[in-house]
Amino acid sequence: MGSIRFDKVDKIFGPASGGVKALDDINLEIADKEFVAIVGPSGCGKTTCLRMVAGFEPPSAGIVSVNGKAVTEPGPDRAVVFQQFALFPWKTVRENIELGLRNKNLPKSERDGLVAGALGLMNLESHAEAFPHQLSGGMQQRVAIARAYVLDPEVLLMDEPFGALDAQTRVVMQEELVRLARVNPRTVLFITHAVEEAVYLADRVAIMTRRPGRIKEVLDIRSVRQAENWDRHERIEDVMDLESFVHLRTQIWKSLREEKGAHGV
Amino acid sequence: MIGRRGWVGLGSVAAVLLLWFGLTTATGLVSPGRFPSPADFWLSLNQIASRGYAGGGLAAHAFQSVKLVVMGFLVAIATGVPLGLWMGWDRRAEAAINPIFLIIRPIPPLAWIPLAILWLGLGDGAKIMVIWFAAFVPSVINSFAGVRNIDRPIIEAAQMLGTPRWRMVTEIIAPAAAPMIFTGLRLSLQASWTTLVAAELVGALAGIGFVLNMAQQDIYPGMILVGMVTVGVLGWATTYALGLAERRALAWNVAGRD
Repeated sequence: MGSIRFDKVDKIFGPASGGVKALDDINLEIADKEFVAIVGPSGCGKTTCLRMVAGFEPPSAGIVSVNGKAVTEPGPDRAVVFQQFALFPWKTVRENIELGLRNKNLPKSERDGLVAGALGLMNLESHAEAFPHQLSGGMQQRVAIARAYVLDPEVLLMDEPFGALDAQTRVVMQEELVRLARVNPRTVLFITHAVEEAVYLADRVAIMTRRPGRIKEVLDIRSVRQAENWDRHERIEDVMDLESFVHLRTQIWKSLREEKGAHGV
Repeated sequence: MIGRRGWVGLGSVAAVLLLWFGLTTATGLVSPGRFPSPADFWLSLNQIASRGYAGGGLAAHAFQSVKLVVMGFLVAIATGVPLGLWMGWDRRAEAAINPIFLIIRPIPPLAWIPLAILWLGLGDGAKIMVIWFAAFVPSVINSFAGVRNIDRPIIEAAQMLGTPRWRMVTEIIAPAAAPMIFTGLRLSLQASWTTLVAAELVGALAGIGFVLNMAQQDIYPGMILVGMVTVGVLGWATTYALGLAERRALAWNVAGRD
């Protein structure tokens, strides 16, 4: 089980009075095993939303809860994949993936099996003993995803996970993530500023306004994906060619552009 | 194999030696009473190595000095690094300790020598204490800065993985701060040698600083130079050993490699 709920959440940075209001009355519910992407202009506070679910930041008002329990601190039930990977450079790939399992005090035999499974899932078997700096950016992010998945978390929080990757690697990783989501569905909160990525990956896309960030609208992608049977296509470019995909993408683009236009950007 | 840079380095060393020989021996521009010639140096080295000087052979004096440096340095690491890590990690610890530290820090380590001798006499204890004080400060400061400079996502990733407190220190904070810690240790080692020689000059019964002191009283330039060169070589050797330890410990850190 892993549901996420934002209930009348505000976030103010700096002093309570006179600080910068980053988020204003955020209300959003993400159901178990649902994949929700948040898109919005830079600085709108979308990453802050994720950080509150992760337990890195407390809300200034309102409640962020997972499975009905208010979030108070970080924990392995909410695994995070960071934009800059955040691997431990002094640990090998295997040790990076294993740390969370050691923290759970699992016996060695059990850890070995789980780590092997995670390595296999992300095609990392031949790099298990490498250090992160010996790997490409795409490979490093695979390690970070494996490190998150191996915890068997209730929710997976992904903060622009492919933002630091080159375009080709990015596409491969997006396809991988879709494959992963089919094999091993999770509740996912995915932050991105790439509209196509959001439409391709998510069940629903939440669009945020400029600062102070509010949720402007939430689009249902899943019903379109199922009605138009996007999943019959293996490749991302084929999906992106579909009229239904283009339509959704354009709709989100327009919505985001209004945000910028409203402020004369 | 000696590379291009190596040859340039050897060349400049050779030039200095040649200049030394030229000024003291070939031309006699510098009188041997002011600066020893290469021959004087060699004779002095021979004397202390074979027959001894100032109550012992060169090896015994060198061993005494290295022993004190290593002991003072290790005590400084054992106390300074944990304190710096703690101050970096815990803002309350920093708030409590930093003011004291800021007052003590500007006192030159050498200013502790009189007090140390008063407390512990002319034996090893006083020198180890002074070296400890000297080497302590860079250890603390750099360990502290090392923790403060850790990328926040690294800490957050560890928290997210449910890393318990002690493992957080040993497996995350300490290795993440390690490159800075080693920078501090290099400075600490340097400070250890500076302080040791000064302490031995002021009051000692053995050691390289004592050799220097005796040679000065005997007006013996050749032996003074032997003492200086010995300190240089020992300082270089200990720094090299520390460098090896660093390379080993930071094998994962490409940026730390030259």
